[in-house]
Amino acid sequence: MDISVVEPGVIPVCPVAPDALQGIRRQQTNPDRWHGASWAPFAEAARAAGLELIDERQLQAVFITDAGGLAFGMPHGVLIARSATQIATLMKLAQQFAVPVTVRGGGLTTEGESVAYGGVLLDMTGMSRVLKVAREQLTVRTQAGIFWHSLAEVLRRHQLDYLSAPLNLTSSVGGSLGVGGIDVNSPRLGCSADQAVSVEVVTPTGEIVECSDTVRPELFQRVILGYGQFGVITEVTLKVRPYTPLRMHYIYYDSLRTAIEDLQMLDRDDASDYSGILTMTDKVINLLVAFDSDEREAAFNATWRGRLRGHGELAFCVRMGLGFLLKPWQLREMLWLYERRCRLFPEFRRAEHTRGNLMHDRTVVFSRAVWKHWGSRQMVIPDLATSTEKFIEAVERGNAVCQRYFRHYTLYCVGIKVREDHRPHYELSCIPPDARGHAYGCEFEPIMEDHNYSRDTLQAFKNDIYDIGLALGGSYYRFGGMMKGYIRRIFGDEVVDRHLAMKRKADPAMVLNRHVIF
Amino acid sequence: MKALLTKGHESCSGCSLCLLVCPVWHARRDIRHTPQGRAKALQMGVPVAALVESIDSCTLCAACEPACPESLPLVDMMLGLREQLARDVPARLPVIDWRSGASPRLAQAVCLIPDAALLQRPDLLAKAAQQLDGMQVVEDAGLDIAEAIEAGQAIPQERWYGFLQALKRARRVVVANGLLAHWLRGSLPAVRIDSLAMALGSLEAVRSRLQPGDFYVIESRHYHADRERLVHHYDGLRQRSGCSMNLDLQRLAVPTTASSMATQRGQSGIDVLEQARWILEGTTPARIVVEDAADLAVFTAVSDKPVIHLAELGDG
Repeated sequence: MDISVVEPGVIPVCPVAPDALQGIRRQQTNPDRWHGASWAPFAEAARAAGLELIDERQLQAVFITDAGGLAFGMPHGVLIARSATQIATLMKLAQQFAVPVTVRGGGLTTEGESVAYGGVLLDMTGMSRVLKVAREQLTVRTQAGIFWHSLAEVLRRHQLDYLSAPLNLTSSVGGSLGVGGIDVNSPRLGCSADQAVSVEVVTPTGEIVECSDTVRPELFQRVILGYGQFGVITEVTLKVRPYTPLRMHYIYYDSLRTAIEDLQMLDRDDASDYSGILTMTDKVINLLVAFDSDEREAAFNATWRGRLRGHGELAFCVRMGLGFLLKPWQLREMLWLYERRCRLFPEFRRAEHTRGNLMHDRTVVFSRAVWKHWGSRQMVIPDLATSTEKFIEAVERGNAVCQRYFRHYTLYCVGIKVREDHRPHYELSCIPPDARGHAYGCEFEPIMEDHNYSRDTLQAFKNDIYDIGLALGGSYYRFGGMMKGYIRRIFGDEVVDRHLAMKRKADPAMVLNRHVIF
Repeated sequence: MKALLTKGHESCSGCSLCLLVCPVWHARRDIRHTPQGRAKALQMGVPVAALVESIDSCTLCAACEPACPESLPLVDMMLGLREQLARDVPARLPVIDWRSGASPRLAQAVCLIPDAALLQRPDLLAKAAQQLDGMQVVEDAGLDIAEAIEAGQAIPQERWYGFLQALKRARRVVVANGLLAHWLRGSLPAVRIDSLAMALGSLEAVRSRLQPGDFYVIESRHYHADRERLVHHYDGLRQRSGCSMNLDLQRLAVPTTASSMATQRGQSGIDVLEQARWILEGTTPARIVVEDAADLAVFTAVSDKPVIHLAELGDG
C-alpha cells in the first residue's frame, strides 16, 4: 500500500499513520484523497454491470462528513446498497480497478472513518429491512444497514427487544458489530458485537459468505470488531430477548473515584441489569442502575443499595448547595449545573416513556437526550478503555485533561463483560488485552455550547486523552480514522503487522475502508 | 415564510433521527428523500431546483419535526422550499381551480372546515357536525387554499383574505385538514383553531366508546404540529381505553399518507397499502378507528375487520 508522507523528509515511511509517530506534532488531518486515476473505466464497468453509481452532488454532499464534523471528504460516487450480490459486484470491480470503497452505516463515527476521501461510498442504509423474526429461537435475521432503533420498532411488535446496542437511535447494526457497540447492559451482556450469532459477509474480493463461531470462524473473528477491514457485513443473525421495561435508579456522587468503585462493585457482584456513570463535569456524578424485573430490583435494594456511598437526588442537592455556600466564587458553576439539570432531567422522565417506576424505550429516552443536549455540528468524544484495575486512574487523569481544555464536559463510563471465548475477536479492538472479567470504557465529551474551538485545540485534547491510554496500557473505542496514529503504539508492532498481513491477503488492492486502520 | 424562520437547513447536524420516522425513507431507503438529505445538500450549495424530486416526495406528515433534536421547523422549511420552487420553476405547478366570489359569512361563532376526503363522505361529515353539537359546516372549505399551501403555490391575496375574513368572527374553528389548521393558527391568532380529531376525541361520548380491541389511527399532521401537548392526550386515551395506536417507540404517529398530495400524485414512492400493513404489523385488532377519512378505504383494503371513522364512534 502506498501511503503518502504528510511531512516529507521528517517522517519515516510507515505503513500505519506516518504522521503520528513519537516526537512529531500529532496534528491529524484528512487522509490523502484518492485522485481517481481509474475512476472513469471503473464507473463505466460498474454501470455496465448494473450498478447504479450516483455521482450527483446532492448525494455526495450528504456524506461529506460524519457525526464528528471534523473530517471532510467527497466520494467520486455513491452506491446505495440493495443486495449482497450488488456489493459483491462492486468489490470485484473495486479490486480490479483499485478503487477505494468506504462503507457507511449510520455515519456516527467521529474521526472520519465513514467519510470517503474519493472512490465509492457504499451507503448501507439501503439494506435496512428485517428479514425474519424467530420468536421461538429468540433470534432475528436482519439486513446489516438497519438502524438499531428501526430493528427495535420491528422487534417490539413481537414483544421482543435486542440485547445490547449503542444508546443511539441511528447507529447501524453492521457498523456496531464492526467496532463493538456499548450499552448500559454491557457489564452483563458484553458489547453488541458479542450478540451476533452469524453474519453474511461480502469479502473485499467479492465473495458472499456466511460465517459464525463454527462456520469459517477465522473470518468471523476478523469481521466482528474488525473495523470494516475484512468484509462488508450485509446480513446478521442476532440474539434477542423478551421486551421488558426498566426499573431505574439514579444515585449521585461528588467523587469520581467513589462512584467508579461502586459501579465496579455492582458489576463484579452482578447486582444490576444495567449500570453506568454519566456526569456533569466532575461535580455531579450520576450512577444509573436499572433492572429488568422486580425480583432483581428487590435483591439490589436488600443487598447492595445500602452499600453504595452515593445519595438520592434531594440529599445530593442539599449537600451540593451547602458546599457552594462555602465557595461563593463558584456561583456561576452552580447556576450552570442547576440550569443544565432543569433542562436535562425532565428528558429522562418524560411521561410518555414512563409508567410509574418503569422506563420504556430506554434508547429513545437516552438517545434523544444525548442528541438534544450534547449533539452539535462538531463532536469530539475521545475515550479510554482499560482493565478494571487501571480504570479509576484513567478516568481521573482524563478528567484533569478535560478541565484543562473545557469549562463544561461530560464523562460516560460503562463496563463491558469480556467473553473469554471471544478473545480472538477482541484482538486489535477496544477490549484491552489485559482485561479479565470486565473491561471499562470512559468517553470524554466536551459540551461545546456556543464556543468555537479550532481543530488544533480539539485534536490536542484528543491526543492528551489518548496519551493516557499509552501511559497506562489500555485501548480505545475510536482509534481509527484521524486517530489511527495511535494504533501501532497502543497495540504494538507484532499485532499490527500480523493484522496488516491478513489484510493484504484478504484485500490485495487494499481498497476496503482503506483509511480507517491501515 | 422563509424569512420568518429562525433556524433553517444550515442548522441540521446530520443526526439522521428524521430518517427513523419518515414514511418516504421507509418506502425508499434513499437519504436524498429525507429532511437530512435535503438539508445537507443545501448546506453544500446544491440549488433548490436540483432537489425537485426530493421536495416533491415529502408527504408533509410532519413526523420529522418533533423528532428533530435541533427543533428545526421542518414543515415550514419544506413549505418554504416548495414556495421557492414555485417561484423558480412555475411551469411545473398544478393548475388550481381557485374558488371565486366571497366566502359566505358564518351563522355561528363556531364552525367546521371539512377536508376533501370528508366532503366525499357527506354521511360522515353530518355525523361529525352532529357530534359537535350541530356545528355549522362552512360552505367554503378552502380546498383550493389547502392544495396551494401543500404545493407551495402563492395564494391570490383576494382569495386568501376573503377566506380569512369569513372566519375572523368565529370564536372556534374546527379543521379537518391538519396542514390548513397549522396555517390558520398562524393567521388567526385570536381564533381557537382545533383539529377535528381533537374536537371529536375530547367528547366523552366518543372517548368512552373506544375499546381495548380497537386500533386507533391518529392523523399525523395535526398530531405532530402540537405533539408536546397531544402526546399526553393520546397517552391518556390509550391508557383509559386499552386500545392500540399507530404510534412508534418515539410516540410519533406512523401515517398512511393517503391524504397527502405527494402520495396521491405518486411522488412519495409510498404504497399506502404497504404502509397500512406495516402500521398493523404485529397487531390483531377487532376494529380500526381512523381520524382521517382518507384512511377508511386504505384500512378497509388491507384488513377484514370493521373500519370506522372517529365520527362514527359516537353512534354507539
